Amino acid sequence: MRRVAVIGVGVTKFGKHERTSAELFAEAAADALLDAELPVSAVQALYYGNVVGSETEHQLHTGPQAASILGIPTIPTTRFEAACASSHAAFRHAVMEIAAGVSDVVLVGGAERVLNVPTPESTEYFAYASDASWEQTLGLTFPGVFALIARAHMQRYGTTEAQMAAVAVKNHKHGALNPKAQFQKEITVEQVLQSPYVADPLKLLDCCPFTDGGAAVVLASEEVARSHRRGVWVLASAAASDWMLLGDKRDLARVPATERAAAAAYKQAGLGPADVDVVELHDCFTIAEIVATEGLGLFEPGAGGRAAAEGLTSLGGAIPVNPSGGLKAKGHPIGATGAAQIAEIVTQLRGEAGPRQVGDARVGLAHTLGGNTATVLVSLFGRD
Amino acid sequence: MTEPVITLQQFFQRAREGELTGVRCGRCGELAIPPRQFCPACHERAWRPVPLGGEGTIESFTVIRVAPRAFAADAPYAVAVVKLREGVSLLGRIVGIPLDKVAIGLRVRFRPLVKDTQTSVGFGPAGPR
Repeated sequence: MRRVAVIGVGVTKFGKHERTSAELFAEAAADALLDAELPVSAVQALYYGNVVGSETEHQLHTGPQAASILGIPTIPTTRFEAACASSHAAFRHAVMEIAAGVSDVVLVGGAERVLNVPTPESTEYFAYASDASWEQTLGLTFPGVFALIARAHMQRYGTTEAQMAAVAVKNHKHGALNPKAQFQKEITVEQVLQSPYVADPLKLLDCCPFTDGGAAVVLASEEVARSHRRGVWVLASAAASDWMLLGDKRDLARVPATERAAAAAYKQAGLGPADVDVVELHDCFTIAEIVATEGLGLFEPGAGGRAAAEGLTSLGGAIPVNPSGGLKAKGHPIGATGAAQIAEIVTQLRGEAGPRQVGDARVGLAHTLGGNTATVLVSLFGRD
Repeated sequence: MTEPVITLQQFFQRAREGELTGVRCGRCGELAIPPRQFCPACHERAWRPVPLGGEGTIESFTVIRVAPRAFAADAPYAVAVVKLREGVSLLGRIVGIPLDKVAIGLRVRFRPLVKDTQTSVGFGPAGPR
């Protein structure tokens, strides 16, 4: 298998936009190509994440639409749907395509537009990622899914609402340093604890926002990447899954798909959790960050809440998590999220993250979760 | 041609009549609900339908206050993962129990939730043993 590198990244401002998701992706893709110092004609394939476009924009067939808006309509392109992990799933596919020698330059990314519809409507569309026969009929929401996980984690390990709040406070602190973030202001533990319940025990400020935005990365074979000074190597890209239904999960306090994807990625790279310098992980809810830090092996099961409250995951801490502000503060345009996390890790490993830079970051990890914890992607990155 | 052991439609028809149905593997004894094609434990396809008692305890729960469009009038409402006495778990809506009485470990009993042509899983008070 050939080595693969990321040679360009681009991310739009996250927040509310009056542009289609295709337009948002096109902006991110143009920035990524500029960063890669490649003409658009160099792109040999496009893999694209978009999730609720058929609902919020009445738009399917978003792969060719994205290729068309870039002016490269004839290349192979496919839209990936893996709920919130869509563009990370697209990324893994592109890595394998280059590693296998099929393509030399592949553009990967995603975009989402949801703030053009009211919250009860977007809440319904996001719930489509749970089972239609067994779960949607109960009025289950995504905050509800993670509330069930939070309650189980609290019961098992004694995790507290204040520890969860510490994750939100930390990610807002990081987001305040990121000019692309949806929220660039700090919040306090008291503000989180006093915000209204959305799905007990999760409160409004435990939840990431609805977000419009796009992200793109340019992947290249070693041969192409060698002529780029700022390439970052893909050391591993792994996927794992788990039961679709919450009732089928053996242990609600853990996310086995994260544990499996992480184990596979560490094995591919010949690395372990102690080798990782910076992490972007899927904090769609504060509890999601806590269980992800445990599943990735950064902390023992049950120790994630305490670690966050003690500042171990803050910039300057033992293992900085979500220096971008994470989904919580940077925002979560679901189809774009995986690519945006990868873009942040690449930016960190290049040493180009400005005030939110993690000192001497050499190995980075991106973790993206989809749906009821049923899809997880973990990729590892390193510089020479 | 492969015949289904029990279709979703049959499952929810029986549920509508108050009966929860699982499938038990004739080779290794694994119990599953909902029905699935192959046994996740031994990968055989030797299921037979078995009636379940419907009694269980709450493993985790939440009170949903911001609901999807179609459920806005119901909010706030509780959903819970309930472990049935037979050992399998199901997500269901909690009905007939005050929200402040819903707790991990609380004993509950299956009851069908019927809304027009749709049936879903509910759990209410366990009642006397």
